[in-house]
Amino acid sequence: MDENTPHVQAKFYTKQSQYSVPDTPFSVPITVGVEELSSLINGLLKGDEIEDESVKFDFLINEEFLRVALNEYLEQRNISTENVLEIEYIEHHPAPKPDNSLLHDDWVSCLQGYSQYVLSGCYDNTIRLWKTDGTELMTIPAHTGPVKAVKWITQDEEDTSPLFISGSHDQTIHIWQWNQEKKEVDCMVTCRGHTESVDCLAINNENQRFCSGSWDKMLKIWSTASASEQDEQEDSTSTQKKRKKTDQIIPTRVPIVTMSGHKEAISSVKWLNLTDVCTASWDNTLRIWDVNRALEKSQLQGPKAFFDISYSPSNGMVIAGGSDRHIRLYDPRSTDGAVVKCAFTSHKLWIVGVAWSSTNDNHFISGSHDGIVKLWDRRSPKAPLYDMTGHEDKILAVDWSIPDLMMSSGADNNIKIYSYSHHKNISS
Amino acid sequence: MATVAAKRKISPVEEIDINEGVNLFVDEPPDSEDDDDTTDSDSSEYSGLEDEPDTDDDDGDEDDEEDDDDDEDAENDEDEEDEDEDESDVEDSAEETSSHSKPTNQEIVTAEPDDKEGKITQLPDEYEYDSSDEEDIRNTVGNIPMEWYRDYSHLGYDVEGKKLLKPEKGDELDEFLDKMENPDYWRTVSNKLTGQKVLLSKEDVKIIQNMQKFKNPVGSDMYEPWIDFFTNEKMIHPVSNRPETKASFIPSRWEMLKVSQMVHALKMGWMKPTPTRKPDEEDETNFYMLWKDDEEPEITRQYRQYIPPPKVRLPGHAESYNPPEEYLPSEKTVQRLKKEIARGKTRTIPQKFSSLRLVPGFKYFIRERFERCLDLYLCPRQRKVRMNVNPDDLIPKLPKPRDLQPFPTTEYLVFKGHKGIIRTISPDPKGQWIASGCDDKTVKIWEVATGRCIKTFNVESKVKGVAWNPNPSLSIIVVAVETSLIIINPHVGDKLICSKTDLLLNSFEEVELPPAPTDKPKVTEWELYEDAEYELGFRLKIKHQREISQVTWHGKGDYFASTMPKGESKSVLIHQLMKRRSQNPFSKPKGLVQCVLFHPIRPFLFVATQKYVRIYNLMKQSLSKKLLSNCQWISSMAVHPGGDNVIIGSYDSKLSWFDLDLSTKPYHTLRHHTMALRSVTYHKRYPLFASASDDLSVIVCHGMVYSDLLQNPLIVPVKVLRGHKAAKGLGVLDCQFHPSQPWIFTAGADGTIRLYT
Repeated sequence: MDENTPHVQAKFYTKQSQYSVPDTPFSVPITVGVEELSSLINGLLKGDEIEDESVKFDFLINEEFLRVALNEYLEQRNISTENVLEIEYIEHHPAPKPDNSLLHDDWVSCLQGYSQYVLSGCYDNTIRLWKTDGTELMTIPAHTGPVKAVKWITQDEEDTSPLFISGSHDQTIHIWQWNQEKKEVDCMVTCRGHTESVDCLAINNENQRFCSGSWDKMLKIWSTASASEQDEQEDSTSTQKKRKKTDQIIPTRVPIVTMSGHKEAISSVKWLNLTDVCTASWDNTLRIWDVNRALEKSQLQGPKAFFDISYSPSNGMVIAGGSDRHIRLYDPRSTDGAVVKCAFTSHKLWIVGVAWSSTNDNHFISGSHDGIVKLWDRRSPKAPLYDMTGHEDKILAVDWSIPDLMMSSGADNNIKIYSYSHHKNISS
Repeated sequence: MATVAAKRKISPVEEIDINEGVNLFVDEPPDSEDDDDTTDSDSSEYSGLEDEPDTDDDDGDEDDEEDDDDDEDAENDEDEEDEDEDESDVEDSAEETSSHSKPTNQEIVTAEPDDKEGKITQLPDEYEYDSSDEEDIRNTVGNIPMEWYRDYSHLGYDVEGKKLLKPEKGDELDEFLDKMENPDYWRTVSNKLTGQKVLLSKEDVKIIQNMQKFKNPVGSDMYEPWIDFFTNEKMIHPVSNRPETKASFIPSRWEMLKVSQMVHALKMGWMKPTPTRKPDEEDETNFYMLWKDDEEPEITRQYRQYIPPPKVRLPGHAESYNPPEEYLPSEKTVQRLKKEIARGKTRTIPQKFSSLRLVPGFKYFIRERFERCLDLYLCPRQRKVRMNVNPDDLIPKLPKPRDLQPFPTTEYLVFKGHKGIIRTISPDPKGQWIASGCDDKTVKIWEVATGRCIKTFNVESKVKGVAWNPNPSLSIIVVAVETSLIIINPHVGDKLICSKTDLLLNSFEEVELPPAPTDKPKVTEWELYEDAEYELGFRLKIKHQREISQVTWHGKGDYFASTMPKGESKSVLIHQLMKRRSQNPFSKPKGLVQCVLFHPIRPFLFVATQKYVRIYNLMKQSLSKKLLSNCQWISSMAVHPGGDNVIIGSYDSKLSWFDLDLSTKPYHTLRHHTMALRSVTYHKRYPLFASASDDLSVIVCHGMVYSDLLQNPLIVPVKVLRGHKAAKGLGVLDCQFHPSQPWIFTAGADGTIRLYT
């Protein structure tokens, strides 16, 4: 470095305790980039303990990733070079690796992982069960229309007969039980009530309720019980027509609560907690409903129609993708100030799938019609951490239910699985 | 100029040559004048010639020309009288004669010394006494007959009053001896005044001899050739270089006297001024107006004002020979300027010169002057009456497109699957599906959200029109295939509605029976699909007699109309689905019907023929309005959901907006497309309309209709959407808005449907 380049005082700190360095300010040349800073930290660390490899670090200033040279960053943000900069550093996130590809016969519209299994819904009216290693376990001719949503009810990995639900264009929701020992899948209950295609499903944390959103603008809350006496009773009260149609012994269930309010189709639904449900709709709104009181609690107006949302219980934020190229970050708790907290722009087409990481409250993935899955850190709104290519056509859904695996399904009849590598020590 | 000057320089030289020749030849006073004449022209050139010795003499000579002549006469007389005049006289006369004939002057001068030496000895030096050419005053007796002194011993008195004694006269013998011995005796005469003997010079003798022979005494050639110095041609130089005489500067005293005399005479009334005639009276009689009608009235004269020619811009710093640095163009600009000059524009490239001397001549001076003259001469000038209005005020204040969000901006989805030209699309009333009709003989149903083709219906021929029933509680598509309409239940969406629709369609068969036995020939035949085709979703087939080009639903979803451009009087048919009835609303052909539309609220039918749109009131069965489209060939039409505004697209790439409350002529015409318009459409909810054209673009416009009757619709073009590729000379054939979202679907000849949001 030149003698003449101005220096800035910087204090480094980290939340990853194994990489902590002394809390003394360093004078660093203002022109340094991420790599120089990284080697600086490495040098500091090596003084303490001997490591074989140097670790790559990322640096955050004011909760935002440093992606350019320090002086450029300071200029952009109008930060004075007189003060001591507080720079947080974290270990550079390792790149995800493509793990597997699950080939279907038709477009895969939805998927969810559970333990080492993957459930996918297809446009050929079937539900497929896969192991994450790529073996196809089962194909279930489940519906009479394209399957639009699948969700595992059972979260317990030990359960040998897990339950899952599926919603379809045929306006029904089926509750299925997968008997792993018998290698059978049985339809336990058929939930009827929606008058249009069921586009989204969500299970609450206690696995007792699930809600469904449909093209008919209704939000319905259902019980997840695989079998209940209520069903029969309710079944008898249901209309003759529906009875006629099903012609089977499969019991029919009706919703516990139906809530209307959206002016357009509900495209995505998520539980915020045991009582609150957040829905996203084509009418450009996010609405939060109190299930117990069957009320609409609040409403967030968005600029475009929403296609998918994801809620992170750990940071309480909602990310939403819609009919434009921006992913928007909402805070459902705040009522004042800017509605959109942050916008993440990198995709080129509609964003049809978003999913928070369940382990890292800063990371989420997004899938778009442009065929790319992007891994984002919410502190870096300008550019994603990684682009994951592989799909040859539109992506229709993404899933990050299994913390290690990021999955996406698309119109190229594939599910692509990428492995998410964790840090050695996960930040708190 | 230079050549002219050169000529001038040359010509005097030639003249000089001639003059010199003349000089040598003629030896005349005019000759000297002529010399002056030539030298006058360019003094610097002829300084050498002027220095000739005789020129000085000339000046004096000319001044007193007349006086000299007088003197000559007098002296000649004297010469004759006083034969014994002394030498000075002779010399005087010789001098006088020499003034007239200079070249001979020298001869005389040489002759004189001989004479002096030989003859006149007693005379003292002539300069001792007065040598002026005044009269000889040695004898002061005056001009008297000298016979008076014959008897005296003296012959007069000198100035001091002493007697001038007669010279001694020899006797006869001396006379005789002298006569014998002196060879010059014959030319010796005695001066009567002084009584002295004077020897006549040869010249004098010659004069005498000439006079005796009645010749010119001087002996010069009187008939020398005439040179006409004073020609009738106008010369540019004065004849003489002689300075003006002193007299010409001094006011003439005689003239003054004369004038004062006349003034005095006038004062005294002795002289009368000549009466001045009055010119006016005579003019009136002489001149008259040839063309009386020429007299302009005052008003027209006011209009016919003098129009000054446009002023040339004054040169500024850039035109200076030494412009400031900031006016000097860069290399790039010079290139550009040169190009512009080459293209014939007038541009000056500022150039810097250290001094004005280094500035070259302006190359285009003549051309520029010429062009300026042409401009002034050929340019018709007229006075423009200009309103003093800020041009910005005249532009209507349109809001920025950014403020008119939402509208479709970007292509987000491409629906691929068709293998031919997609002629028509129609979204379902809920916006989940869209139906498309294609030249590959299929009708496809697509899921809007994903671009997934859900269903495909194969039909017999190319699909010309698809229309989704606007009633959300019915699941019906009408498809126009060649000469028949096919009613399809697509079985997508709400199953209950689908089954209800089927039920409805089937249940009305009984009702259909009663009107069957009518005498009128049926315009259409309704057929039912059976079995396998029924299972696929085909429900009814309505057979027409001619090819159907377009089909449209009434807003309620029961009636629908089909268009057959070649159907003549049956070109428009209105069908009722529930009663399975078709009727022909018009008994007479109206022309080539392009498309028909139902009014969204009221019972009106819009029928677009080639150039007009007629609006019929279906209840009263009468024509309610006729819109003049002002275009060559209407291709498509759309009615605003409010029902009071219509847009029309035409094959001559115009889009006309009609406000039915305003007039039957277009309220606004948009010419944004470069090729034929294929489709126009309104959005049902948002104030948007769009037009699709063969130039591969779809133009979305903001078209706000105000419920306030006083406010005219606001039309702002907001977006040009591109993406389709040309195929078979066709571009975008249909465009339809999503029923609820601000999205637009476009169907192209390239076999794709594109969704812009």
